[in-house]
Amino acid sequence: MVNKLIKEDTKMFLTGNEVLAYAANAAEAEFMYGYPITPQNEIMHTWCKLLPKMDAGFLQTEDEISAGFSTIGGILAGKRAFTATAGPGNVIMQDAQSMAEMMRIPFVCAVMQRGGPSTATVIYAQQETRLTCFGGNGEGFRIVYSTAGHQDLYDYMIKAFNTAWTYKFPTYVLADGYQGKMREPVMLYDPASRGINMVPVTPYLLGEGEIGKDRKSVHLRNTYNMEEELMEVLEGYQADYDKMAESVAESYEYMTDDAEILVIAHGIVARSAMTAIDELRAKGIKAGLFRPITIRPLDVKSMRSAVSKAKQVLFTESANGQLAQMCLEKLYGLTTPYSTLFKMGVGVTGDDIVNKVEEMSKQPATV
Amino acid sequence: MSRTKMVLAGEGGQGVQSVAKILVEAGYEAGKQVLYIPNFGVEQRGGVSIAFCQIADEKIGEPRFAKGDIVIMLSDRAIDRCETYVDENSTVVYDTSVCTKKPTCKCKKIIGVDANKIANEKLSARVFNIIVLGVLLAATNVLKLDDIKNAMELALGKKFAVKPELRELNHKALEMGMELVCQSAV
Repeated sequence: MVNKLIKEDTKMFLTGNEVLAYAANAAEAEFMYGYPITPQNEIMHTWCKLLPKMDAGFLQTEDEISAGFSTIGGILAGKRAFTATAGPGNVIMQDAQSMAEMMRIPFVCAVMQRGGPSTATVIYAQQETRLTCFGGNGEGFRIVYSTAGHQDLYDYMIKAFNTAWTYKFPTYVLADGYQGKMREPVMLYDPASRGINMVPVTPYLLGEGEIGKDRKSVHLRNTYNMEEELMEVLEGYQADYDKMAESVAESYEYMTDDAEILVIAHGIVARSAMTAIDELRAKGIKAGLFRPITIRPLDVKSMRSAVSKAKQVLFTESANGQLAQMCLEKLYGLTTPYSTLFKMGVGVTGDDIVNKVEEMSKQPATV
Repeated sequence: MSRTKMVLAGEGGQGVQSVAKILVEAGYEAGKQVLYIPNFGVEQRGGVSIAFCQIADEKIGEPRFAKGDIVIMLSDRAIDRCETYVDENSTVVYDTSVCTKKPTCKCKKIIGVDANKIANEKLSARVFNIIVLGVLLAATNVLKLDDIKNAMELALGKKFAVKPELRELNHKALEMGMELVCQSAV
């Protein structure tokens, strides 16, 4: 049992990376595996700095391939383990992440997006949205929370562990370099004080007692011999995924009731959108925000309802439409016209959104 | 809602991020809402290093803003990179003893200070960034001198304890920076 550092509500002024390390401890995480890559390094730095007080473990592996598989190893042994990565690290960790999907491992990973493709920038982007949701050679049996600031990072990192261990799908906290590196006030708390109980962890392998006598044998499969055999398993996974989606999908709406122009944005861009909406409302333009919190699975019902009420939609993100693509597929059949504001690997400011929405209110979108 | 948006930009190694950290810590300790994003490339030294800081009375929404209320440029490359954060409501500060050119962007006010020269000739090259902090403090008026001094104690208190003269040096640098703005206003 790890030693929890936050025993009562504590307001702190931290970087997002520091928040994630504290959150993992609050969630009773026992082990972190990782390999350094900017802009997520301070997650492991902070975790290691706190180690002596936490009675937890850390292993720096030789690369992200190993970090991903080691995390799986730790979980198989019954540890509440996690990892964190970004950019090219996220790319090469996909093999392990796919294995976690195939073997239904409660893999937890924080992704702090940086510019892409390849090395690109170490600063910020939302260009790992598609990769985090659908990377690997599979079907994207993953749960992805997209956070919009430090309180979210704390809340959803704790939640990610419970979601992963409840549904046994890899679960991600998807943030970005801004959130990782920026400093803002945050309230840390003991999850129990908010009525959150951590789902107990049990070993997949190496359980106590004798196989066949005290416990059943375990047969974890990553390989199938017949095509049909594989499909049967995956159909079961898909059914589990769809059922889980009903209770896990989350979204947030801001001033959508009478919104004529609905902004759809996730993560930190959604925060810029809220600043913009306040400004637009003051100018008499009825704008609102739909923010998917889980970007995989999407809260389709709420999104369709918000979109059908609006006269126009604006998709905005720090990528070339990665979220928009995922949303548009789920909005099939609706005829609300939309416009886009995409800045590849660059932050979207409130002013950017204000200007775009003003333009749309004068000259409506036709697509 | 009162919100002050600040951009500090210079060469890596000039101490831009250290100053930004002291500034936002001071804001946090003073009970304000603060948000700070460091922005730098892959270099350990060299390359333009930018700090985006916001201090406000109410909760801050957007982490990155389009235009700063005050934009501080401490090198030629910082001028090139940061004119984009300036509009007609911005105050621009640049260091005349480091930059070989003057910012040409349209702005509300432009202030040239010779912080680097003063640091080298009158104090110590090491407190160049603290002079800049003094300039920022006087030019924005969002925080009090004592707030900054408290935050400096938090950041540098251990060094001050070993060498008390460092505290005096830093306080002097802070005050000289503030004076530079007052002089330019005359």
